[in-house]
Amino acid sequence: MIKKIAYTVGAIALLFGLWGVYVRLFEGEQSANYGSYIGWGLWVAMYLFLAGLAAGAYMLATLDYLFNIPQFKGTGKAMLWAAAVTLPAGLASIGMDIGHMERIWKVYLQPNFSSFLALMVWGYTIFLLLILLSLYLAFTRPEQSVMKLVMWIGLVVAVLVAGGVGFLLGGNASRLFWHVGLLPVQFPVFALASGAALMLVLVGWFGPKEDHGNRANQLWTLGILTVILSVVKLYFLFTDFTQSLYGGVPENVQAVQAIMFGQYSFSFWVVQIGLGTLLPILVLVQPKLAKNDFIAGLMGVLLLIGYAVARILIIVPGQVVPMLPGLAEAFSGPKLTFEYVPSLMEWSVTSAVLGGAILALLIGLDRLVRFTEVKK
Amino acid sequence: MKTKQSENNKITRRDFLKLSGVTGAAAALLGSMPKARNAIKEVMAAGEGSYFETKPENQIYTVCLQCNTGCGIKVKLLNGLAAKIEGNPYSPWTLWPHPAYETPVKDMATIEGGLCPKGQAGLQTAYDPYRITSVLKRKPGSKRGEGQWETISFEQAIDEVVNGGDLFGEGNVDGMKAVRALADAELSKEMSAAIKKIWDEKDAEKKKELVKEFQTEFKDHLDVLIDPEHPDLGPKNNQFMFVWGRMKGGREDVVDRFVKGGFGSINMNGHTTVCQGSLYFTGKAMSAKWNAEKGSFDGGDKFYWQADTANSEFVIYVGSNLFDSNYGPPQRGPKATDAIINGRKFAVVDPRLSKVAARAWKWVPIKPGGDGAMALGMIRWMLENEKYNQAYLAIANQAAAAAAGEPNYSNASWLVKIKDGVPGKHLRASELGLLTKQTVQKDGKDVTVYVDANGAEFPGDTPVALVAGVPTPINVLNAEAAPVVGDMFINQKVGEFDVKDGMQILLESAQEHTIAEWAEIAGISENDILELVTEFTSHGRKAAVDIHRGPSQHTNGFYNNNAWYVVNLLIGNFDYAGGTIKLSTYDRKGSKKGQPFPVMTMWGEEEMTAFGVDIIRTGVAYEKTSLFDGTYPTKRPWFPLASDVYQEDIPSIGDAYPYPVKILMTYMAAIPYSLPGGHTAIEILSDPKKLPLFIASDIMVGETSMYADYIFPDLSYLERWEFGGSHPSVPWKVENVRNPALAIPGWPTVNVFGEEIAMSFESVFLALAEKLELPGFGPNGFGEGVPYIRPEDHYLKQVADIAFGEKEDGSDSVPEADDEELRIFLDARRNLPPSVFDADKWKAAIGGDESLWRKVVYVLNRGGRYEAFEKGYKGSKVGHPYGRLVNLYQEKTAASINTMTGKPYAGYTKYIPAGLSSIGEEIKDEGYDFNLITFKTITMAKARGISNYWTLGVAPEGYLLISASDARELGVRDGDMVKVSSASNTEGVYDLKNGRKVPMIGKAKVIEGIRPGVVAFPLGFGHWASGGSDVEIDGKVIKGDERRAVPLHANGAMRVDPVMGNVTLSDLAGGSAVFYDSKVKVEKA
Amino acid sequence: MSNPNEATLLNKYASEVFAGLVAPALEDMQVSTHPAEDLPAKEDALVRMNRELKRALEKPASERHWVMVIDLRKCIGCSACTVACIAENKLPPGVVYRPVTIEEVGTYPNVTMKFLPRPCMQCDKPPCTDVCPVSATYKNEEGVAVVDYDQCIGCRACMAACPFGARTFDFGYTYTEQLPVMDGAVIGGESAGGYEHASQEYGKEWARNSRHESPIGNVRKCHFCLHRIKDGILPACTTTCIGRATYFGDANDPDALVTELINKPNVIRLKEELGTEPRVYYVV
Ligand SMILES: Nc1nc2c(c(=O)[nH]1)N[C@H]1C(S)=C(S)[C@@H](COP(=O)(O)OP(=O)(O)OC[C@H]3O[C@@H](n4cnc5c(=O)[nH]c(N)nc54)[C@H](O)[C@@H]3O)O[C@H]1N2
Ligand SMILES: Nc1nc2c(c(=O)[nH]1)N[C@H]1C(S)=C(S)[C@@H](COP(=O)(O)OP(=O)(O)OC[C@H]3O[C@@H](n4cnc5c(=O)[nH]c(N)nc54)[C@H](O)[C@@H]3O)O[C@H]1N2
Ligand code: SF4
Ligand code: SF4
Ligand code: SF4
Ligand code: SF4
Ligand code: SF4
Ligand SMILES: [Mo]
Repeated sequence: MIKKIAYTVGAIALLFGLWGVYVRLFEGEQSANYGSYIGWGLWVAMYLFLAGLAAGAYMLATLDYLFNIPQFKGTGKAMLWAAAVTLPAGLASIGMDIGHMERIWKVYLQPNFSSFLALMVWGYTIFLLLILLSLYLAFTRPEQSVMKLVMWIGLVVAVLVAGGVGFLLGGNASRLFWHVGLLPVQFPVFALASGAALMLVLVGWFGPKEDHGNRANQLWTLGILTVILSVVKLYFLFTDFTQSLYGGVPENVQAVQAIMFGQYSFSFWVVQIGLGTLLPILVLVQPKLAKNDFIAGLMGVLLLIGYAVARILIIVPGQVVPMLPGLAEAFSGPKLTFEYVPSLMEWSVTSAVLGGAILALLIGLDRLVRFTEVKK
Repeated sequence: MKTKQSENNKITRRDFLKLSGVTGAAAALLGSMPKARNAIKEVMAAGEGSYFETKPENQIYTVCLQCNTGCGIKVKLLNGLAAKIEGNPYSPWTLWPHPAYETPVKDMATIEGGLCPKGQAGLQTAYDPYRITSVLKRKPGSKRGEGQWETISFEQAIDEVVNGGDLFGEGNVDGMKAVRALADAELSKEMSAAIKKIWDEKDAEKKKELVKEFQTEFKDHLDVLIDPEHPDLGPKNNQFMFVWGRMKGGREDVVDRFVKGGFGSINMNGHTTVCQGSLYFTGKAMSAKWNAEKGSFDGGDKFYWQADTANSEFVIYVGSNLFDSNYGPPQRGPKATDAIINGRKFAVVDPRLSKVAARAWKWVPIKPGGDGAMALGMIRWMLENEKYNQAYLAIANQAAAAAAGEPNYSNASWLVKIKDGVPGKHLRASELGLLTKQTVQKDGKDVTVYVDANGAEFPGDTPVALVAGVPTPINVLNAEAAPVVGDMFINQKVGEFDVKDGMQILLESAQEHTIAEWAEIAGISENDILELVTEFTSHGRKAAVDIHRGPSQHTNGFYNNNAWYVVNLLIGNFDYAGGTIKLSTYDRKGSKKGQPFPVMTMWGEEEMTAFGVDIIRTGVAYEKTSLFDGTYPTKRPWFPLASDVYQEDIPSIGDAYPYPVKILMTYMAAIPYSLPGGHTAIEILSDPKKLPLFIASDIMVGETSMYADYIFPDLSYLERWEFGGSHPSVPWKVENVRNPALAIPGWPTVNVFGEEIAMSFESVFLALAEKLELPGFGPNGFGEGVPYIRPEDHYLKQVADIAFGEKEDGSDSVPEADDEELRIFLDARRNLPPSVFDADKWKAAIGGDESLWRKVVYVLNRGGRYEAFEKGYKGSKVGHPYGRLVNLYQEKTAASINTMTGKPYAGYTKYIPAGLSSIGEEIKDEGYDFNLITFKTITMAKARGISNYWTLGVAPEGYLLISASDARELGVRDGDMVKVSSASNTEGVYDLKNGRKVPMIGKAKVIEGIRPGVVAFPLGFGHWASGGSDVEIDGKVIKGDERRAVPLHANGAMRVDPVMGNVTLSDLAGGSAVFYDSKVKVEKA
Repeated sequence: MSNPNEATLLNKYASEVFAGLVAPALEDMQVSTHPAEDLPAKEDALVRMNRELKRALEKPASERHWVMVIDLRKCIGCSACTVACIAENKLPPGVVYRPVTIEEVGTYPNVTMKFLPRPCMQCDKPPCTDVCPVSATYKNEEGVAVVDYDQCIGCRACMAACPFGARTFDFGYTYTEQLPVMDGAVIGGESAGGYEHASQEYGKEWARNSRHESPIGNVRKCHFCLHRIKDGILPACTTTCIGRATYFGDANDPDALVTELINKPNVIRLKEELGTEPRVYYVV
């Protein structure tokens, strides 16, 4: 039932998304709402989110393949598949965001390695290859040491790329709100957290019927893991914000204010904090609820939404404060604004990306991965 | 094709004709403009990365007209496409000092001067998508202003306008032929002379007699008159009226030729009074000329003075918006900013923190209209503290000025007769018996002279001054006569007369209030006055007050301006470097001896003599006309001191006072938009009963032309001829020559007098003249065998006059262009179509003389003629001084009657409160608490800036400035929408009379920099036409562009005169339309 | 304001007239000015800087150090520079290289306005170049941060990295082309916009014929008008500056006006604390 719904949701999302993709590809970027002052919007956030998810999923796959944690036995393949789906989805999202997609090859053939962006593209490409290789090995020779070796390398790369995204923002000294020393540390944690949330969904909703007994255990463990990571995340958020506010640098203060009290306060308090963090924490600390397939899966979805919103709320507010006083009014024209809400076209493209990812994930689970091995 | 041209620079004339032929054919249809893109491609490909802009043959020098400053510009061309506009480096407007005029053009190719953002955006005026390319006729059956048009051929349009008929299915409309009832030039001259006699007759009875005489003398021709009972209303021809907004020299001369000499109508007037009218007419009154033979004053010059920004050590800019508008930022800006860093100072008196105020040493946020009071406060202090130029002011005539080495002199010490306490005329020497009238023989003729006790001869009666207490006749003009240096502050009896001198009258006027009281009236502190006046009087003659619209456009504008000018006069700074100066231009009319073409007097056939009362009642005093019955007020005011009273045009038509108008033609005018209370004009313009035929020349469907019956497309300023003239703060003798720099590919041409010329304003006149067979146009337009059949036939003659200069022997003429310059000239114009540029025809227009032609080319290559930098000043004085009598006391003004009150105007500096109705009564608009004012921003020019999208990026919409404290009280926050309304527009809308109403609602901009109680909006937004709304042409809807329809324009909230009800408040003395005296309500919308 | 030290600037100008009368021998082009008898004769700074520009061009590119100096005391906030830049580079809607910010300071009646023109600072340590994944934006040999439109993938990383907001993205708008067309009645949107395709940035043709053609889809920025200065014309914002507040030249030339100006105590650079080493100086 849930799966049917999920398929339907995925399909509808993809269908709705195709319109946006068409508009983006053939009419260009004018119907996007990101612009010249807020240059990075929903798609970049989704890239961060999905790529982080891939890293997180990969990290969790190591629980099975590297660390052989019994409870997670058999989940590895699904998590590798999840990584194999979410990473391309993330790359698609960022691909849509760039002005000249047809030149993407230049990043491979004419890269500038002092650019973190180039490093990230390379890193993620290597990571993608590693995911695929891991997946291949998982099917062909899961017990061999080559699998272990690859997974070790993959794990390191996963942490690095996740951290690297953090650096992409954190290394930007021009945007004080992003320029937080710990960002590269925070991001792998976020990645892991989102991976765990994804796993909650996969296990809770799509885990093999047969594995019912083990699943309660898995869910409980995952639940606890998620709660811990969420708390850590909250702590990061708390320190970031309090530092910003306490430091009193106007740029930072205004950004934090935009999140907490300004145009983004609803997304922040209700979606990110309320539904996306506190509610899952409250639910998942209760074993009874945490062990319920449906509820755990649902919490996973809420957590994922919360994490996605959290990405938006780090990307966008970093850009809402004019670099110079009066810049907002100095010149007007399309896309010269410091206000940002994604446009329908942007949502549509994201919907295509997510819809595609959901379908790919489900199809993969059904056709390739199956949780059947669990039985062994 | 272009490869050839860019590779070798030796293109022949044949080559470029071929070349432009190709371009012309390729772009035969306007729809094929995208060809321009290919042209760019080719040029760029051929240029091997070399920048096209560096080549002089890709540059044409002409003159900006985005605003009226008229900066010299250089248009950079890419195969005929204008690609960029820069400042013309020869022009004193854009570089300071300007380089030598003789610098070869090729050496100027990479040098350019400064332009303002509008000047930079000029391409968007020429290449405006909404520019009309066909004559538009109001669709028969549709109402005026409904926006339904038909394209018709130029020929048909001319035919309909000339012959009239049932043009719109609304009944017969008289055409121009019918209106031109008087076509006999000889008869017009005779009638005109007879009318003049009637007007000159002072005795009412005799005047009546003369009217009778007229009726008998011309009994066979009374049908040509508007009203035989009042023959001085003139011929029916006067029922054709021509009104222009922005028009410059050249075109103005053509209008004169057409309307007066050709058509025979007296009714042509410009927009002066909507602009800075009272400034001009204060200047005119203060420059009234002493006529030595008549012993009385003639009229003055319609002009004004400005401060010499470049050299003044201290300037007070009063309502003079130096960095945003004025004449103009490129020209005055660098000189003012130089002051900032070099220890020269300036202060700004303005209710609003203008940009120039933001850079000033001191900002005085005066109460609107308080200028006269503030100036009188300063005057009082100067007089009482003897901080005026005693020695200069005492000089009473030219001879004394010459002796003292002064460039000019004033009538400050001339005695004025006082009757019942009111200053009247100057005392004449004959009245004291100082001079006696005698008839003497001179060259065999009887001549009347006046002789004094010593036998010294005077050409006429003279004014009198006390010299060491002795009444002395003043030989005013003769530099060889006895110098007179008068006593001042006279208040006594001389002979039987109570007399005072100008200074005494001034002192008494200034002493009507204490300085503290003056400050209070002006809404400022006493200290403001003291600080400014102390500084002002600490720089000798290198200080000046610079005034503009701020003090001028009030009901008391004339007197505000006068008061500020008198502040200048008191330190004697006129004609001094750093003081108060005037403009100087090369004679473009050929009126100087030796100039090749005296165009104004070159007529092949006898010209018509236009006569009669003009519809706006400016040319003649009411009391002189047959309409005068001894009673006041008149139905509408008469303007004895002003002319070009723009705001009176449409209401006078509406009231048919003094007579109805049948045909109105407007040119480059945005009447309902630009005028305060302009919404009242819409009611009249939209009514064919009041105005049977309305023709407009425009480049688009504008705020005024949308009500027209026919719109004739015009060429933009980058495609046409005109003379930019100069402005008072430019000391050099100059003339800016606007000449075609680009042509829109496929622009329509018309055939007139057998010539193919671009459809344009000129083409309308030429075609009408051909059809109506008017003198002054056609194969013998300028004289036997001297044709006027192409636009350049007129303009190039004027360029030739400018090139020749003003010395009879030609020693003042410019050099001849050498072969290289001639080549550049021709090459630069290679893409202009033959309808616009044909070198042979151009040369023929000036008679074919090679030497003159090369001089003309020399001038055109430089976009005008500019005197050498060092000639601007002679020592401490200007090179071209005003150089004559300045009237501190205005006798002529004192003798003029305000026809609404029946009382004479004051001839001296006097405080009059602002904001009075036409009958001089206070207007109490209770509940309307804010004083509305307006200003210009640097990015907007008039109704015309809205098509320039580039500048809209800087300022996309209008707004209402509200002081932070007022906003708090109103509960209005920055960005809130607010509505403006007034007692004469309670609804706060422009009713377009076509079913649409445009509300006066816009964003509030809450600032600290404005006087509380005052709200202000910038000019240029809030359009309801000009591409801002849909029009239907031949059944097809042309959608308006919302970027052009952004709010806010609030002229419609400006107060309508309560007495007349269909016109703005006016300054009846200076003529100004009043922009700053309205009370409005501001509400959240 | 009447600080006597500042009056020395005038003297500098004035002495330059005489230097100017000697110097032109160096160039093949000569623009002479006439000193008036009794008035302080000066040469327009634009004429002087044009001569200095030509002098600088005789040197190898790497020996030139282009700088811009903006005298905030003289800036009148007119935005002529903003629009000149747009007109020069045919910048489409939403792209701006040199906005001028206006800030009102104080309370009535003690209130004034501050104007700040902001071109690209051409930082010597630019945070915007390293971030570019494909080296499309870099400091060229004359020290100008340029964007190679044909290389740029449009990722906007440089835009995010610039602390001055000096970069904007070209979304492919035009000012006129979407406007109505009716042949024979009005010029029409499509025909009118020819000039919008006449950009010569970097000395190349940028016809913008389709939505996908560079510089559409690229990040764009001020480039000190390299295409103009290469041919001896000062940047568009500089020549048009009606406050004569903008100066441009080679700071390696000890006699250049800009060199004189930047070696004064009243010169600042924006966000100096970030250490980006701007080449745009502000006189305050
Ligand atoms: N940008 C631009 N420049 C232009 C033009 C344009 O349309 N746009 N037009 C040109 C033309 S035609 C003209 S006539 C000139 C006009 O040049 P200015 O007269 O210098 O310009 P305005 O902007 O009309 O300035 C009027 C000023 O007077 C102030 N003011 C209002 N009421 C009062 C008052 O009671 N007393 C005093 N002291 N000040 C007051 C206003 O706040 C405003 O600053 O500009 C020319 N230059
Ligand atoms: N609120 C407010 N109102 C003002 C002022 C202000 O400061 N504030 N300033 C006033 C001043 S100073 C003036 S001078 C007046 C000016 O007011 P007007 O003289 O009435 O004219 P413009 O506003 O210049 O409008 C000219 C019209 O001519 C048309 N046009 C444009 N270009 C051409 C062309 O090349 N050829 C032809 N044939 N027609 C063309 C367009 O329809 C345009 O609307 O405005 C005044 N109105
Ligand atoms: S000030 Fe007026 S004339 Fe001069 S460039 Fe600007 S718009 Fe043109
Ligand atoms: S101002 Fe910005 S875009 Fe320009 S060089 Fe510096 S960092 Fe780069
Ligand atoms: S937008 Fe272009 S120039 Fe900027 S970082 Fe990305 S690829 Fe480089
Ligand atoms: S230097 Fe050129 S590109 Fe840079 S702001 Fe000035 S005009 Fe624009
Ligand atoms: S053009 Fe000059 S004066 Fe005007 S805003 Fe720009 S820098 Fe300031
Ligand atoms: Mo005006």
